[in-house]
Amino acid sequence: MDKSIIINGEQHAIDVDNDMPLLWFLRDRLEKTGTKFGCGAGLCGACTVHVDGVATRACITPVGMLAGKSITTIEGLSENGDHPLQKAWLNNNVPQCGYCQAGQIMNAAGFLATNPTPTADEIDGAMQGNICRCGTYQRIKKAIGEAAFELAKEVS
Amino acid sequence: MSILEKLSNGVNDSSKIENVSRRNFIKASGVATTGLVLGIAIPAKAMAFGNSTNEAAFNPNAFIHLQDNGDLLLYCGRCEMGQGISTALPAAVADEMEADWSRVTVQQADGDEKYGPQGTGGSASIRVMYEPMREAGAAAKLMLVAAAAKVWKVSASDCQAKNHFVYNNITGKKLSFGQLASLAANQSVPEKPQLKAKSAYNYIGKALPRHDQGQVVVGERIYGVDTKVPGLKYAAITHCPVLGGKLKSLDKADALAVKGVIDVVTVDRLEVPYGSIGGVAVVADNNWTAQQALAKLKIEWDLGDNATYDTVAYKQQLIKNVENPAELATERGDLNSAFATAAKTLKATYTGGHLSHSPMEPNASVVFVEKDKCEVWAATQSPADIQKVLGAYLKREPKDIIVHVTMAGGAFGRKFKCDYVHEAAVISEKLGLPIQLTWSREEDMRTGYYHSINAQHIEASLDDKGAVTGWLHRTAFPPIGSLFNPATVKPSKNDLYSVDNYPFGLPNFRSEIGDAKAYTRIGWYRAVYAIFYGFSFSTFADELAYKAGKDPLTFLNQLYDANNIVEQKEQVTRSKNVLEIAAKQSGWYERERLPKGQGIGLAVHYSFQSYVAMAVRVESDGDNIKVLQVDCVIDCGQVLNVDGATAQMEGAVVMGMSLALSTEITFREGAVVNSNFHNYPVMRINDMPHVNVHIVESDHKPTGLGEPGVAPFAPALSNAVFAASGKRYRDIPFKPMSV
Repeated sequence: MDKSIIINGEQHAIDVDNDMPLLWFLRDRLEKTGTKFGCGAGLCGACTVHVDGVATRACITPVGMLAGKSITTIEGLSENGDHPLQKAWLNNNVPQCGYCQAGQIMNAAGFLATNPTPTADEIDGAMQGNICRCGTYQRIKKAIGEAAFELAKEVS
Repeated sequence: MSILEKLSNGVNDSSKIENVSRRNFIKASGVATTGLVLGIAIPAKAMAFGNSTNEAAFNPNAFIHLQDNGDLLLYCGRCEMGQGISTALPAAVADEMEADWSRVTVQQADGDEKYGPQGTGGSASIRVMYEPMREAGAAAKLMLVAAAAKVWKVSASDCQAKNHFVYNNITGKKLSFGQLASLAANQSVPEKPQLKAKSAYNYIGKALPRHDQGQVVVGERIYGVDTKVPGLKYAAITHCPVLGGKLKSLDKADALAVKGVIDVVTVDRLEVPYGSIGGVAVVADNNWTAQQALAKLKIEWDLGDNATYDTVAYKQQLIKNVENPAELATERGDLNSAFATAAKTLKATYTGGHLSHSPMEPNASVVFVEKDKCEVWAATQSPADIQKVLGAYLKREPKDIIVHVTMAGGAFGRKFKCDYVHEAAVISEKLGLPIQLTWSREEDMRTGYYHSINAQHIEASLDDKGAVTGWLHRTAFPPIGSLFNPATVKPSKNDLYSVDNYPFGLPNFRSEIGDAKAYTRIGWYRAVYAIFYGFSFSTFADELAYKAGKDPLTFLNQLYDANNIVEQKEQVTRSKNVLEIAAKQSGWYERERLPKGQGIGLAVHYSFQSYVAMAVRVESDGDNIKVLQVDCVIDCGQVLNVDGATAQMEGAVVMGMSLALSTEITFREGAVVNSNFHNYPVMRINDMPHVNVHIVESDHKPTGLGEPGVAPFAPALSNAVFAASGKRYRDIPFKPMSV
């Protein structure tokens, strides 16, 4: 049976070399370019997606390992771009160049799913792997705090 | 019925007016366009940027496009790389036009001289384009008002524009901008429209969200690396690791055997500024295959003359060159007498390493060279340079190279140079295919253009009251001029402009230039020479204050007050002002109450015609440095977008902190040793201090903020660590990683 992968709810055949990192399957094969290439070595976090809900670096994750798994990219994080993190990002005018922000948001979303009430230090710890050269860190921290607060309200 | 009559009859019945079709309009007016398209002339003084751009034929225009339905398209001619210019300038247009910002779509303009100077650097966009863009908006408004006055058969002075409508002051009737667009197109363009008073600004000076952030958070913003065109093929490239080296042998068999590989292309060095340094590229169906095959190439390089370059040894040589007499640049007063009669003297040497811009988006573009067409999609800071370089390579007219400017995922000066676009053009021309070339992070870091490695040496004399009587500044760094003239072996006198004109009162002064030949490509890096001039001046002034037994802030103010050069009066006043605010806001005056091990450092630097002071509060034992808080004060004249200005300062702190503490590019045997973010440790979120940005309310002419915030951070940090621990850092980065 052909191997397939679910991306943002849609099934796709894995019709490339098994070793091809998910990043390039998304960007070149499916032409979904929201997930970014930054370092190719899992050092910067720009390519972060969710694999079965867990924040994962797409640039070092072979697509062949992901058969049957469910992938969420920035394009599929929410129906209408209204995930609490996306809203908080807009409320705080976080992006400058914006290139790293898909990875930042996806990493933060994976993190909040495991720790819905983080401290500032826990946010630092969780977001350390995501580099922003424009230097939007202060706003990222604030936005994650706000989104956590909103998510907590949704749950309760 | 003419459109004019329809509008006259239907002033209070918008349904009738909206039914005016485009076809009817064209018939009625004979103008084959919908709506108002307005070109503006940009004064020649707007050209004053950079020392590489010297195009003679400036025939600049910018464009406003108002649709019949009221949608307003504003073109941004300057390149967007995250600095927010594509929000700030269009918002200024909308403000003068009395347009509703929510009806505005901003479009990045293609490379075309009609948009004015597009080379985006030197923090010049706002300085150069603010007035012309406002005039464009004001002219459009007057034309809309004139059109409405004609409809109502009243005087234009009885009409006023507000929030996308023109109102009849007599009757209270209104017409929307959309309704008036086509009519306005027939009005004459006012020559020098009057601009609004500050009290009437709608958007200028307010906090405006970036126009494109909605696209960013859903992954829809398209960067250079994201361009897709039909038939696109993907290329990966490796370069000779040493500048000036040449390909000796190439075995491409293994690479060509990889499934999905289309070809291997050799790119020769192009000896023009911003041309490729030479490399070998693999073209394939996708990036991954191209990268895998690239690793299978067997390449031997003839490394050439620069293979001896070693930055550890080179920096030692620079230090020697500035600690010994060097070539005179500028002299004022009698420095020798000042030194001979000094009560006290102090000397110190400061150094800094090469830096890599390392924007998060590596160099990437798509180029399709066809027989009679060449089309480019690129993240770039200078579309005109792409036209020039590709024109030179393809032997075509620059204007025939079509350049679509995409959003840049950061740039910081790197994307002013289009070597990566040139390489994509070489590959595309050879294969006859549209090619996307994306550099790997490693190539970006190892074969880029680098901020100058440098050394500064300052000697000063004090009289018995602790006043500065003499000041010697010696500098040595491979200058950017070496890019354009390989015979350059030291900075030019021009490169010392901000040393020779530093707004301290230094009546007995001498500057000297030490030798510093370039062994790699040197390029503008955010803040450029202000990084080391700011660091050396502001750190030395702090050291000198302690030597004089004075409070650093008092001492700085005395240095400014001693300046009696009339032309620098404004610089003195504004520098002192931002410094004073930084001191107040940071708790400088109460600093004796800080916990043990904490300290505050101050620095101020005037660059790119803007003033920035920083007060940095740290906790440090001398070795461990934790930055707690930064108070940043800016005077950039009339600020355009408060939120954008604030963001630029927050970002400048982060970049300043990376270069002050940790980032340095090291060369060994001619090649860069660093390769990726594990050994070029840019700052991460866990080191982020709390940053407060204070903006001086100012009516001065607006100036840019992309770069000026970077320079004052490192010296303020050095001064803070000294205040906290007594340890003085004179070499940036303070904590280099050994690679």
